[in-house]
Amino acid sequence: MQLIENLKVKEKVYKEKLENGLTVMIIPKPGMKKKYMIWGTHYGSLENEFVVPGEEKPTVVPNGVAHFLEHKMFEQENGTNSLDVLTALGVDANAYTTNDHTAYLFECTDNFYEAMDELMDYVQHPYFTDENVEKEKGIIGQEIRMYDDYPEWKVYLNAINAMYHECPVKIDIVGTIETISKIDKDILYKCYNTFYNPSNMVMVICGDFKPEEMLEEVKKRLIDKKANGEIKRIYPEEPETIVQEKIEQKLEVSQPLYTIGIKDTIQSNCNQNKSDLVKKHIAIEILLNLIMGRSSSLFQKLYKDGIIYAQPGLSYEFTNIYAHILIDGQSSNPDKVYEEFKKEVKNLKENGINEQDFERIRKMIYGGYVKEYNDVTDISRMFLADFFKGINSFDYLDEIESISKEYTEQVLKQVFREDKMVLSIVEK
Amino acid sequence: MQYQEKEIKKGIEFHELNTNKFKTNLVAVFLTTELTRENVTRNALISTILRRGSKNMPSQEEISKQMEEMYGASFDCGLDKIGDNQVLKFYMETINDDFIPQQKEKMLKTTLEKILEIVFNPYIENGEFKKEYVEQEKNTIKQRIEGKIDNKARYALNRCIEEMYKDEPYGLYKFGYVEDLDAINGKNLYEYYQELIKNCKIDILVSGILPNDIEKIIKENENIKNLQEREPKYVMPKLTTRNTEKENVVTESMEVTQGKLVLGLDIKLEEEKQKYDALLYNSILGGTANSKMFQNVREKAHLAYVASSSYIRQKSNIFINCGIEISNYEKALEIVKKQIDDMKKGDFTEEDIENAKKGIISTIDLIDDEQDTGITYYFGQELSNNKISPEEYKEIIQKVQKDDIVKIANSVSINTIYFLKD
Repeated sequence: MQLIENLKVKEKVYKEKLENGLTVMIIPKPGMKKKYMIWGTHYGSLENEFVVPGEEKPTVVPNGVAHFLEHKMFEQENGTNSLDVLTALGVDANAYTTNDHTAYLFECTDNFYEAMDELMDYVQHPYFTDENVEKEKGIIGQEIRMYDDYPEWKVYLNAINAMYHECPVKIDIVGTIETISKIDKDILYKCYNTFYNPSNMVMVICGDFKPEEMLEEVKKRLIDKKANGEIKRIYPEEPETIVQEKIEQKLEVSQPLYTIGIKDTIQSNCNQNKSDLVKKHIAIEILLNLIMGRSSSLFQKLYKDGIIYAQPGLSYEFTNIYAHILIDGQSSNPDKVYEEFKKEVKNLKENGINEQDFERIRKMIYGGYVKEYNDVTDISRMFLADFFKGINSFDYLDEIESISKEYTEQVLKQVFREDKMVLSIVEK
Repeated sequence: MQYQEKEIKKGIEFHELNTNKFKTNLVAVFLTTELTRENVTRNALISTILRRGSKNMPSQEEISKQMEEMYGASFDCGLDKIGDNQVLKFYMETINDDFIPQQKEKMLKTTLEKILEIVFNPYIENGEFKKEYVEQEKNTIKQRIEGKIDNKARYALNRCIEEMYKDEPYGLYKFGYVEDLDAINGKNLYEYYQELIKNCKIDILVSGILPNDIEKIIKENENIKNLQEREPKYVMPKLTTRNTEKENVVTESMEVTQGKLVLGLDIKLEEEKQKYDALLYNSILGGTANSKMFQNVREKAHLAYVASSSYIRQKSNIFINCGIEISNYEKALEIVKKQIDDMKKGDFTEEDIENAKKGIISTIDLIDDEQDTGITYYFGQELSNNKISPEEYKEIIQKVQKDDIVKIANSVSINTIYFLKD
């Protein structure tokens, strides 16, 4: 196994790519009773059109299939439900779907190997029937309705829709009542067989384990399946422009919710090597904190004027087909927040970054990275999510020192462009 | 992990959680005081005004800069309602010296100094809280109070509690009431703060790689030295014997696409020990994916995505939550009630009990491996009538029998059925 060590956080990752294409990462945590296992496939809500390996013609599937599949994986041919089996073992089991991956997981203190048996069994053995697929539509229907009542979700999705013309990041992960009504067992099997191939999957295990022994345990539980060829993923062409600068929706909320989005160019991401991607991500985190973090003059001003009441959320989201910055929160006057934000960006571009502020924010971000290594859950999920982006999570700790003020100023000019900004508002 | 509790002064406890499992040190300072209609809003305001400035860090900007300088110390304030108490929570988390590049810092000592200064030595001008800060924080609290409608599921739960505890402390909203704000100013708020600090229960919990002289560091801290001994004013939980004669049915309308159904149940306990039986009862009723609620409302009837229940130990209540199609109200309610009745009949297996035990025990095992879980556990013990170690906790859970759970089931009554619809 390949050993990757980071001396800053004093952690080690053992990594191996098996013959069937499955990547396994084992992160030993001696002395910890808590254990975590997560198995993910590089398949999320973005994959609605693709060419199945061996086929010529593309397949198009309804929105929400990846998430629907996640729900249905638990059902077993012998009539049991794997979630029940895992819960009965006293382990905390779950699954989730994002834009670019789907993952199955459990955390536990005892019964690790029994739970591992079950997890590896159900992920490798789908069992879909007309009846069990129909049944799930009622449950997922209520999940969709639940999100309809979350103003935070609506304001986010509207911001995405204001930024993107065609990119499937626009699609709600859960689909809609209408799209899920078209899902049947054949569609589920086709997607399963395409994307749940070991060569498209990665497994992360974190806890008090010996890596070599754990790898054998994994191999023992794998069924005989060959790596399939490359899955051709078809995405619509996305223009670089935004769709509209402002988008509004009415919902019953106490104060308006806002999301400011900045669409980033994806071409630059593709051409960069992965360490450049990490560097850019760090620089953007530094910039967001300089502009609107807790110690920034903009935050202080907006807070004092009673326009915002809490530190806004600051994030940069990206995959290989989209990238954007999101700033979100609640405000009595979102237009004012947006206007002041733009002013501050302009200001920073003209006057440059203050050296002291830069060093202080960099220290803060370094500390934040270290904190992510506290819990086996956070560690596992971070390594899995970063893997699908082609990133080794340790890179953030290694690259942060090399980020200069000049480089950060360059990113500011490239990414924080006024013609790429949108404002989404949800209010009464 | 090594846990020790030490009295710093009467009414002021230091909890030492010595562990080398984490990259960080976590310091928590909790102020516990009786929950009353009179003080609820003022307490909420205190919890936010203190983060605006301290003696040596007179502004929020200055505090934030210092936190950033300390490799991103995270400083958080929270407000909790635990039983009939309001708890003002302050946390500061910093990375351990081992992970600081220069390795010259004494980060834990600095962390303690900073957090104790923020809580016990606030920024004062002319003998009162700074006017500007008070006015701004009144605005922030007003938003918080009005914001209770934003998360519809949480709103429904809060409304159910409010209905069950009309005119009782536990029915109060933890952020208080807008109509109280007008009368509050820098002067009377500071006077109230001094009263609070003099009388509240104070718990200081520290988790991480701790030096041998940690107790001394705390005892010799100037801000701690200035605190007086006290007979702390707070409320220990009682075994409530509420009489529910008739179900109170409340329906409210709001702009929602999904109906939110909440049932508030009362449990009548005869002795303290039954609280553990009730925990198992809740687990089987709606606490896990194997529970009756999840299996019957979600998996068999497909009426909901969320169908669960939670147990409030301090008040002997269980709250059942379901998100359903509005037109399915009757159908869902019938199924929910049937689960409560089936529990009374003892319609669950030994296997269900064993599974529930395993689930609870595994959460107890996490106390050592999750820093905030450890802090929450030991503070929870402070507000419990019989303090027990995690080991004892597990033993008690193991001993619970089916009869004990059936007894709980038969002491359960529905107090309130709350439904939020369009």
